[in-house]
Amino acid sequence: MLETFNFRVIWEYMPLYLKCFQATLWLSAVSLLGAILVGIIACAMRLSQSRVISRIAGIYIESIRSTPLLAQLYFFYFGLPSLGLMLPEWVTGVIALTLNSGAYYAEIIRAGIQAIPYGQIEAGISSGLSYFQRMRYIILPQALGMTIRPMLGQAIVLVKDSSLLSLISIAELTRAGQLLTSDRFMPAEGFLTTAAFYLIIYYMLKGFSTWSEKRLIFREAH
Amino acid sequence: MWGFYFNELLHSLPFFLKGLWMTVAVSGLSLIAGSVIGFVCGIIRASGNKILRFIIGAWVDLIRGTPFLVQIFIIFFILPSAGIELEAFPAAVIALTNLTASFICEIVAGGILAVPSGQREAATASGLSAYQQLRYIILPQAMRTIMPPLVGQYVLLVKDSSVVSAIGVVDITRVGWLTVQRIPEGLMVFGLVGLLYFVICYPLINLSNFLERRMAVTSTRL
Amino acid sequence: MISFRNVNKWFGELHVLREINLEVAKGEVVVVCGPSGSGKSTLIRCINRLEPIQKGELVVDDMDVHDKKINMTKIRAEIGFIFQSFNLYPHMTALENVTIAPIRVRKIPKEEAGKLGRETLTRVGLGERIKSYPAQLSGGQQQRVAIARGLCMRPKIMLFDEPTSALDPEMINEVLDVMRDLAKEGMTMMVVTHEMGFAREVANRVVFMDDGKIIEVAPPNDFFTNPQTDRGKFFLSSILKH
Repeated sequence: MLETFNFRVIWEYMPLYLKCFQATLWLSAVSLLGAILVGIIACAMRLSQSRVISRIAGIYIESIRSTPLLAQLYFFYFGLPSLGLMLPEWVTGVIALTLNSGAYYAEIIRAGIQAIPYGQIEAGISSGLSYFQRMRYIILPQALGMTIRPMLGQAIVLVKDSSLLSLISIAELTRAGQLLTSDRFMPAEGFLTTAAFYLIIYYMLKGFSTWSEKRLIFREAH
Repeated sequence: MWGFYFNELLHSLPFFLKGLWMTVAVSGLSLIAGSVIGFVCGIIRASGNKILRFIIGAWVDLIRGTPFLVQIFIIFFILPSAGIELEAFPAAVIALTNLTASFICEIVAGGILAVPSGQREAATASGLSAYQQLRYIILPQAMRTIMPPLVGQYVLLVKDSSVVSAIGVVDITRVGWLTVQRIPEGLMVFGLVGLLYFVICYPLINLSNFLERRMAVTSTRL
Repeated sequence: MISFRNVNKWFGELHVLREINLEVAKGEVVVVCGPSGSGKSTLIRCINRLEPIQKGELVVDDMDVHDKKINMTKIRAEIGFIFQSFNLYPHMTALENVTIAPIRVRKIPKEEAGKLGRETLTRVGLGERIKSYPAQLSGGQQQRVAIARGLCMRPKIMLFDEPTSALDPEMINEVLDVMRDLAKEGMTMMVVTHEMGFAREVANRVVFMDDGKIIEVAPPNDFFTNPQTDRGKFFLSSILKH
């Protein structure tokens, strides 16, 4: 298999790969930002005093976590048009990725918040800080510090999940592999190159995770 | 119109149940094989010699660093070019087993390393063999840390199995994809797909949460 | 300044405060003591409504703090509260810890708050450590930062919930010294503590509690030399043994 590995074809397709690599990067980045935002909101709702609001967030989180992303992606891809909503594929893809990872971020943030000792909240209450001020200055900064690793872990998952967008014909990394395979019948060249690009992102995020962990160490000594 | 499609969908229910069965079969087989391989690799990674540990570590990184869709394409399209012809079903089981094993390997290794080293020293001091230490002292304690994420991993396995629809395995997701060509009500069709996954995953998620809570209780009792 | 009128509190079935009546005047220092589980911490936690009360009236600075309509944030800003476990914010430096509430609640400009924070930290003897994180400070230093955090709000009342119980013996005095200075300056204080030396020297009155009730209220010399109740005698003998 390897002796016939054709590097020339890969070189020929490199511009396509680089373009698709970029697409994967920005699709993931946009979805990541959206997901963290959705996660913060869903988590705040989940922890709300109001039963109804908490329940709504709970249903959202549970139904996302109990079903596969691919089914969610098809749900929007085939479902939105039947509601009369004709969106470009990439928008549908970003919506699915955002809502999917958003539910996981909500759970990660919740775990971080609940790991903060109650005394921290009481100290904030005692000095007259409002609910939002306590969230903004006391709870969230600490929760972020504690959850940096699972957050980056979920970011890695999100980047990998974006490969499913190839199944609704969005031109990203996995799609590039599919194109090379179907044009030239060279699946090894096609998909191993795709895999190599994903590994670059993976090792970068993993390295960043280790680095940030080291930087946060002395604060955790508390 | 909606009512008409709903009726149509009801008529395709047996088709959906077949898909459900396929999802259960693919996931079940991979669960058993993945658990066995994962435990063996995990034990080696936590104890065995340096070279083996390095090889397993590299394998885990490769699997964690690339999307499952790419992995399954590699197995399904590249192995034949190396002379190994595979049907979609065994290819799916192999890919899922490989994926699950790599994650379980990390969970098991983490659980073993979380057992305080004093336990191993005490067992050595009382003359237990390496195997006996593992069997009677280390693993029973490690299982408490291992169980919740292990069940969580099984949930991921069921959800990831939806990706095998991309190589033509007729599981729930594939059934949904085929049905939506005939019944163009995406929300309804993939709502049903989601519901079927929910039925499998939701109890498993709750089991994982239950085990986690129980573990938290027993460890504070210690 | 603080008045309890027939205050009652339950934790579920448990009746933790029973018919509490107590008046604390402006500038007075009151030490609350009693065996553990007697309700003394709960008593002061009710004052800034960290705990709700179920019956009775609790008036602080002419405002009923358990009135649902009242703006509690405003009242809390007037009451400094010191916890047994410090509860400093671990992700902020000492200076940030003491200035966050002045900036966000009092809306004091940052520079002014910084100046106030440095002065206050200097006053508790930590002028050199303003940039330290809580994890880099000893227990005694952390508790002094916590007191400075309360003082930076220029409160009318300071409440102390066993401020020295979590400290190693050699650090207790550095915290008590700060509290002594505060008392001398005329701060209204309620202190839950077992430090009887401190009570004798600083307190105007000692409140002795047991089983959710106030058993005795007396000037410290009277209480320590001649407790009026058996329970008071028993309590004193048990803590004076060591």
